[in-house]
Amino acid sequence: MTTIIGTIRKNRTQTITLAALILSFLLAIQGMETGDWIITILRGLSVAAVTFLVASGFSLIFGLMDVLNLAHGTLFMIGAYVGWTAYVRPDTLLDLATPAALFFAGLLLLPLWDRWLSRVRLAPQAARGLPWLALALGVGALAFGFARYPITGWDVTVYDKSPVVFGVQLDLGQLDLPAPAIVGAEQLGVSMLCLFAGGGLIALGLTLLESRNRIAAATTRVPWRALLLALGLALGGLALFAWNDALTAFLVAAGTTWRFLIAVIVATLVGAGLGALMESTLIRPLYTRPIYQLMLTLGLGVIGREVVIALWGRTQMQMPKPALFNTIGQGCPAQTIFDALANQCSTISFMGSRIRTYNEIFIFIVGVIVLIVVWLLLQRTRIGMIIRAGVQDRAMVEALGINVRQVFTFVFALGVGLAALGGVLAGPSMGVSDDMGESLLLSALIALAIGGLTSFPGAAAGSLLVGLLQQFIVKYGQIGIALPFLEQPFKPTPPLVPASTLLLMVIILLALPNGLFGRKE
Amino acid sequence: MDNLLQVRDAHTFIGQFHILQGVTVNVPQGAITALLGRNGAGKTTTLKTILGLTPPRQGQVIFDGQEIQGRHTFDISALGIGFVPDYRAIFRDLTVAENLQIAERKQGDLARRQELIFGLFPDLKRLIKLRGTQLSGGQQQMLAIARALVAENKLLLIDEPTEGLAPVLIEQMMKAILQLSAETTVLLVEQNFAVATQLAKYYVIVEEGRTVKSGAMPDLLKDEATIHRYLGAA
Amino acid sequence: MKILRDHAILGAVAVFLIAFPFLIALLDGQSIGAMLAGQSGNSKFYQGLLIEIFILAIFAISYDLLFGITGLLSFGHAMFFSVGAYTAGIALKSLKLPLPETLVLVVFAGVAQALLFSIVLPRVKGITFALVTLGFASVFHIVIMSHELNDWAGGDVGLQNIPKPALLDPANQRLTFYFVALALMLLVYLFYRRFVDSPTGRVCSAIRENEHRAQMLGFNTFYFKLAALIVSGITAALGGALHALYQPIVSPTSASLGYTVNALLIILIGGVGTLSGALVGAAAFRLLQFYLDKLFGESSSFILGVVYVALVLFLPYGIIGTWRAKKLEWRAAWQARWRAWSAARPRGK
Repeated sequence: MTTIIGTIRKNRTQTITLAALILSFLLAIQGMETGDWIITILRGLSVAAVTFLVASGFSLIFGLMDVLNLAHGTLFMIGAYVGWTAYVRPDTLLDLATPAALFFAGLLLLPLWDRWLSRVRLAPQAARGLPWLALALGVGALAFGFARYPITGWDVTVYDKSPVVFGVQLDLGQLDLPAPAIVGAEQLGVSMLCLFAGGGLIALGLTLLESRNRIAAATTRVPWRALLLALGLALGGLALFAWNDALTAFLVAAGTTWRFLIAVIVATLVGAGLGALMESTLIRPLYTRPIYQLMLTLGLGVIGREVVIALWGRTQMQMPKPALFNTIGQGCPAQTIFDALANQCSTISFMGSRIRTYNEIFIFIVGVIVLIVVWLLLQRTRIGMIIRAGVQDRAMVEALGINVRQVFTFVFALGVGLAALGGVLAGPSMGVSDDMGESLLLSALIALAIGGLTSFPGAAAGSLLVGLLQQFIVKYGQIGIALPFLEQPFKPTPPLVPASTLLLMVIILLALPNGLFGRKE
Repeated sequence: MDNLLQVRDAHTFIGQFHILQGVTVNVPQGAITALLGRNGAGKTTTLKTILGLTPPRQGQVIFDGQEIQGRHTFDISALGIGFVPDYRAIFRDLTVAENLQIAERKQGDLARRQELIFGLFPDLKRLIKLRGTQLSGGQQQMLAIARALVAENKLLLIDEPTEGLAPVLIEQMMKAILQLSAETTVLLVEQNFAVATQLAKYYVIVEEGRTVKSGAMPDLLKDEATIHRYLGAA
Repeated sequence: MKILRDHAILGAVAVFLIAFPFLIALLDGQSIGAMLAGQSGNSKFYQGLLIEIFILAIFAISYDLLFGITGLLSFGHAMFFSVGAYTAGIALKSLKLPLPETLVLVVFAGVAQALLFSIVLPRVKGITFALVTLGFASVFHIVIMSHELNDWAGGDVGLQNIPKPALLDPANQRLTFYFVALALMLLVYLFYRRFVDSPTGRVCSAIRENEHRAQMLGFNTFYFKLAALIVSGITAALGGALHALYQPIVSPTSASLGYTVNALLIILIGGVGTLSGALVGAAAFRLLQFYLDKLFGESSSFILGVVYVALVLFLPYGIIGTWRAKKLEWRAAWQARWRAWSAARPRGK
């Protein structure tokens, strides 16, 4: 008991702020009918979950590496687009899998080059030019090979074949996939070889670049594991190609629920890969000039968005909900969650209001699962321990002999992967559009500022507050608030939704400059 | 005399400031060498230069027969150099146990060295579940040294281990350092001249970023003029 | 010697910019008389482009003082500009004030918002200050767009039909406007140079390097940060007023985060904390935007993104910053080349 009072006394401002928040929450509930506030809270939780997925990744990256990743919103959006592709167009996904596998198999030759380089001495002139030559050749081979590889996709310029149309078709249950493109065996062989060689050349370029900064020779054991993995990847890619048609048919027949699961996994992995790539190539040279990271991530954000517009077109696309959450007919709306799962209902009726199973329940549950998994990762694993230590004192972690560069790449991959996961989850509820990332990044930033920029529980608490506040304002915009001294009930206009969260952020930051859970520095 | 570590004419810049302007340090194997000098003379920067936290722009650092300047800090440290910074750098969010575990370079390092560590600092065993924030200054200092002992390091860089400690604790710390120097070489930065003279066998004096004098400790004790001039102690 | 050389470059640039409208007219075959009368043509068009650059430069240099010199990262700087623009517009349109009174009002508005930002200064530092200022600016952005203020601020379309003073009408008196904007930019630049080299400015730089140390030396850093905020606030507000006078419409996006990001990008392109970098950066930024849009149309923002990434990688400290860092190196290389060449040249007649 005394310890509780002691804690409260020590954190007086925190306590007052929390009490004020709870009080205003109760007041907000008071002004509504029971069904209304339940649905509002559920919606708030769902928005909070998506915000949390973006915010937590952002905060991990900022905490460990001090990088404000302004491209995070764009990466969230890319997650949605990639997920959409895996979900609506499984044939395109499979077509792309083979080139990707071949390219990564080539990249995995990196340790082999490393070994080779440790035996060769390059003249200084060669050491300056060669890496760039190898990189340029690699990118060239990649582009050459990719352009010649048969991929069945869509055509943004033709309405019948645009991504929008495929989304609508799937929603109506009449998805009509185009016939696969066919090319000659010779072209195919050249293309595959180029893709593999491109990966290998890029790996060579990277090794050469890296070797300029190294003084002592590296270890010289034959990297069997990497080579076996490369072989496996290449064979896997070829197998995917051989059974492409059968696999496509299988995926189409598997139904939207399974495909959605695949989409979630693919989007998360692609996001993680993009994050790792960004960190290891572009962000890494900039740790010594942090301000320019802002410009870099801004530039990358713009590039990403433009690439998405070029590939998928400018209009908003539909991403139908998976079948598990999309039936209206018999037995729906369900009375309990189990009924909903059994009948695959899209809604549950609860206290007189209808709750959407996907939007209000599924997204929130995924958010909670991610919260728990990442929390366990941080608290229970060695890498989590290193991350927690590194957030406080990066230099000391290095001085203990821990290769922080690998940890940085891992955390970047994790953070971006979480954002991409948020994107694909938000797809069916928010719709997929090229501007979906911006407002969410702002919400996430506000949530982080409220919770404490580098605190993981803070990210969760901040997202919760932002989500709830937004949804309460939206709801009050519909039903109006009865205020004293006003004849008419006051209806908040839509611009007040972002304004309210911003005001909450300013107030909380002025009361607690490090946020609710932040630590004084 | 075998030198485990040699710093040869190191020049280090922090921003535009030329902090080290020619530091030369020899650390003989198996003994304690004290790095002495006034505040701001460049002692801490010398340690950071050895570790690559502030890499030297000129000069060499040779550890165990290989040149290590310009390498990544984690590569240097993994060669077998432990670091105890003056600000102790205990990880606040980690428990005492985790603060020790994180220093493992191989699986089971901690289990192997447990006896040595808890033998030197029996208090830590009692505190094992506390978080870094809950430790006192002396306890943090013990933990910082213990953390550097988890991996089998050939060399320990210890920066101001007795700063801000109560006299009783200073004595305990000195005892511990003497004891551990039986198996590892130590480069010690120490402001407290009395402590340094009792612990160290060799000394190096830096002044304004340059090495001005070095040799065996007994010789320094006889040389009052040097002590007065560079260390301001009697 | 150094001061002389600095000013020599500035002088050369100023002379070039003064001569610029006439040069374009000559190249274009337009008579000077027609150009002076403000007839349309290439000269008038490029005057307009340069006026936009001057205004951007004034905005960016005020950001450089805050961020590059004093080290205060603000994400709400667009508000400084926007408040100036809206104050000028509303004063001229709704209050029907003459220009001098309007400008006085704009200066007061600049000081007022600097004071508003300074209220939070003692509480929040670093990135938190940036977020709080972002909060202020976004709230202003939303308020200015609200329907309730439609009659005054023009809602989300923006403030239109601002009466322009006859002497400074950008349509008919473009050349006058050009010279006024140029003069204002140069004056601001010279004033900022003096400010940065003054004792106050030195303390501001010291705060950026290490605020704690500046405090240990006995400076009350709050007052110096306040000074930087006020100077920056007034400058940005004046830039905004010029914007309101020049543009047909003052859009509420001028208060958005994107506009602050523009200022940040400009000084990153030019070189953070160099002041002249803000001017060079503004020119580079606007010209890049303009020509990329002209050349690539739809995909210009993609190219712009690529250019940003390339700039970060190949001009590591911005144009001016990298130039200053490499100047000595390059000069030494050229001197060595010159020596080698002159040594190889046969001597005698």
